[in-house]
Amino acid sequence: MDQVKVGVFLSDCGKQLSEILDFNALTDYVKKVSGVVLVGRSSEFWRGKGLQFIVDAIKDGKINRVVVAESLPKLSEVNIVQAVENAGLNPYLVEVIDLKDHCAWPHRKTPSEATEKAKAMLLAAIERAKLLEPLEKLEFSVLKSALVIGGGIAGMQTAVDLADLGFEVHLVEKTPFLGGLATRASRFFPTDDCAICIESPVSDVKTITHTSRKCIYRSGFSEIPNMNILTNSKVVAVEGVPGNYKVTIEKKPRYVNELKCVRCDLCTAICPVKVPDEYNAKLKTRKAIYMNIPNVHPPVYVIDESVCKFHDCAKCVEVCPTDAIELDQKSEQITLNVGSIIVATGFREFDSSIIKEYHYDDYPDVMTNLELARMIDGFGPTGGVIIRPSDRKPAEKIVFVQCVGSRDRRYNPYCSSICCMISLKHATLIKSAYPDTDISICYIDIRTTGREHEDYYERAREMGIKFIKGRPTEISRDTETDRLIVDVEDALLRKILELDADLVVLAPAMVPAEDTKELAEILGLELGEDGFFKEYNAKLRPTETKLRGIYLCGGATFPKDAPTTSLHAHSAAIKAVKFLTTGKIVKDQRTAVINEEYCGDCEFCPVTCPYGAISLEPTTEEHFVAKISDLLCEGCGVCVGTCPLNAIELRHSRPKQMLAQMKALMSINGTSKPLVLAICCSECGHTAVDSSGMAMMQYPANVRVMKVPCTGILQVHQFLEAFKAGAQGVMVVGCKSDGCHYEVGSQKAENKVELTRILMKEYGIEPERLEMFNMVFIEGDKFAAAAQTMTERLEKLGPLPTMGGS
Amino acid sequence: MKHGKDEKTTNLAFSDVISSRLGGETINLCYQCGTCASSCPVAKITPRFNPREIIKLTLSGEKDEVISGDAIWLCCSCYNCQERCPQKVEIADVIYALRNIAVKEGYIPNIFSEFASAILNDARVVKVSKFVETKRPTLGLPPLQPTGVNALRKILSATGFDKLQQKKEEAT
Ligand code: SF4
Ligand code: SF4
Ligand code: SF4
Ligand code: SF4
Repeated sequence: MDQVKVGVFLSDCGKQLSEILDFNALTDYVKKVSGVVLVGRSSEFWRGKGLQFIVDAIKDGKINRVVVAESLPKLSEVNIVQAVENAGLNPYLVEVIDLKDHCAWPHRKTPSEATEKAKAMLLAAIERAKLLEPLEKLEFSVLKSALVIGGGIAGMQTAVDLADLGFEVHLVEKTPFLGGLATRASRFFPTDDCAICIESPVSDVKTITHTSRKCIYRSGFSEIPNMNILTNSKVVAVEGVPGNYKVTIEKKPRYVNELKCVRCDLCTAICPVKVPDEYNAKLKTRKAIYMNIPNVHPPVYVIDESVCKFHDCAKCVEVCPTDAIELDQKSEQITLNVGSIIVATGFREFDSSIIKEYHYDDYPDVMTNLELARMIDGFGPTGGVIIRPSDRKPAEKIVFVQCVGSRDRRYNPYCSSICCMISLKHATLIKSAYPDTDISICYIDIRTTGREHEDYYERAREMGIKFIKGRPTEISRDTETDRLIVDVEDALLRKILELDADLVVLAPAMVPAEDTKELAEILGLELGEDGFFKEYNAKLRPTETKLRGIYLCGGATFPKDAPTTSLHAHSAAIKAVKFLTTGKIVKDQRTAVINEEYCGDCEFCPVTCPYGAISLEPTTEEHFVAKISDLLCEGCGVCVGTCPLNAIELRHSRPKQMLAQMKALMSINGTSKPLVLAICCSECGHTAVDSSGMAMMQYPANVRVMKVPCTGILQVHQFLEAFKAGAQGVMVVGCKSDGCHYEVGSQKAENKVELTRILMKEYGIEPERLEMFNMVFIEGDKFAAAAQTMTERLEKLGPLPTMGGS
Repeated sequence: MKHGKDEKTTNLAFSDVISSRLGGETINLCYQCGTCASSCPVAKITPRFNPREIIKLTLSGEKDEVISGDAIWLCCSCYNCQERCPQKVEIADVIYALRNIAVKEGYIPNIFSEFASAILNDARVVKVSKFVETKRPTLGLPPLQPTGVNALRKILSATGFDKLQQKKEEAT
């Protein structure tokens, strides 16, 4: 390797800093450090003449390492690194530090101490730069195709977006028809129009018809270019890496050829097998060959194989005029290669029969909102008439029960967020069609938090719908009249009531779709405590997962109403497009690397890596070795901190680079106070230090900051090394443990700090000399206070007896 | 309702007192749904008792009203409410906690202190009258054995029960 030639560039930020720091002293100091061949001074180095000066020095071959002291390094670094790369030097050989927010400003009252600290900071940056190694940029190919799992409104909207933008889309739906919960729900708030109404694909709106919205059944959905719809199909396996997934789909037979069926209905007329129609709340029967409702998509019949007599009957085969019925169809396995996967599996109603006291399974006149929706639907089993199922007489008195299994710590503690609105929608729809119906709604709290949602509540009150604040304890049946009785306290009146009713409608919690857990395992995704898919960051990345290329939308992450589902679906589509559009992933090598000689195949790192980037691969017959995927590795270093044999290092944060930095930071004190090393993660920890400096919060200059990618990288021996290097105390500053940018790093660091404190006790070192702090960017005050407290604590403790500073 | 600032703070702390006691830990979870009230056989027959209201008063810090009233003594400990409460509030146990505080502060309904003095004097909850005693042989029942009242008194005095009872008797 060439000889290391470091250029150091000191910016005084337009004289702001030189009023506090002695720049002449700094220049003299830096010049004497071995390896430094050039020292520049200017008022800024991240653009203009200053930056040109750096570029020229590189081009002239004067320097091959760059250290810049500049304010706002998180902004300026981008420019500097880019310019360095353009000048022909590997961009990973640059180190940028901040003498303003990390030194001059927080120590403005003690300028000479600040200058001494600045020397230590510069030395640390130089020592680290000397040990940096050039890294490569890697490219991985990405297939321009996507798999969308779930054919409800979320999945359909995402699929249309992607197809319209030219990507190949496979839409997989496990039931025989598209539409999901939405089609069953029939009408939607806040517009009270049809649920099966969707945005028209661009492919037809401009060219063939002039409608902007259409029913699914007349949308030409299956004719959208690039769209491959697979109903009756399920994802059974996923292999591969972001950009290149191999997906195995199991497609169950429909027994009706989708290309031949002309919907003449002759088959259903002749089919002799009748079964209760679950889709329509069992309020009617259907045949073994059937369609849910006339307006479904695809507009093709399906045979229910659990009841069809097949070749013992085959009457439908005889009548079908187009030979569309194929009783010998078999399940197929289909393999798809896609670049991205979007999960849109939605939610379902909680099983109300679990709450025994509501007798959902025992009394036919107790039903759920989704079942009631079938009666409100004109296409439904009663043609829009609201009946009591036990005798099919019109229901004159209806009681709604809210929060069935939600806001209930025995089942689902969360509020399902849409069921109040569903009940209000149903109650008002019924009341406007049949004004004489007596309707009561028993609620704990009514929640109507969307635009125009409160109008429903207001309208319901105007219409004379009664509201009872109380959660019923029991539903029973009067054996003489066969009417239902709802036991509830009206808590506002403090009266115990027994409401009689023809029909009781339960508003069940919304829970994750049936196979959510299984799918999560197949995809390697995590579920939240509530059982829904966990998004990468609820605030900023609500449709992303921690796996690049896999996205979530709609009710798969939590129950949502239609407007929110649409938003979510479009958001997932744009995220997928961002990922797919260039056809490649560009990543650098600031990743982890295994020293195969040391690896003892202990299996710790593969389970610890939050991104599943490590696998164990066989080398010889009985030996395995850990391998790291540069594509999947996010460079957190959690594996480094976990490996018991020190077999893993991050290429850009090697232990020797960290040690050199540590020693340099502790080499000069310049204050009368005990030296403190604050090891901060690059995310919240380091930015909290920034923000304390920006706000000019003061803390003593004996506190020295060292940045690591994530505190999860730290190992026990490194804390001890810090003490050996002269630290009298060590602070570890990471993200909040439930807000760690690398999922588990902060928690791992906390554990290691605890462990080290136990060891310290054994060695006779006060464990209070080491402490973990968790903070976010805006908590600069917390950092300043912690630095102050630590210093005072160490002053009380006195100098470290055994390892004392050098 | 009291509105003095100091009283308010001490009153509010009352719910903390309850939630730090065995059985009272879950009281803050109550969202006043009334399931307990409509489950309660006592509330069904008398407006003098409503478990939801007791929880509410306790949460609002209305200590005096709760512990000096007779409502908390009407619960029959059937635990219906506790079975059904969606927030897993241990209502009947909260009521026990309230009763314990009430007793400590000298609020014991007469009937309970009569029971207590019967236990302390005779080791029986109900005093046995001469009439009953003479009636027993005619029904073929053996005469009553003397009770181990001294042993019981020792136990009760170790728990401080006798002092509580004394205080109550002095007050009335
Ligand atoms: S939306 Fe209404 S009914 Fe549904 S859980 Fe929330 S409060 Fe209960
Ligand atoms: S550095 Fe982080 S992401 Fe990379 S392999 Fe190690 S634990 Fe996984
Ligand atoms: S049932 Fe539980 S949550 Fe509801 S009012 Fe009673 S104690 Fe409160
Ligand atoms: S335990 Fe007490 S409050 Fe609860 S239901 Fe029974 S009697 Fe009522």
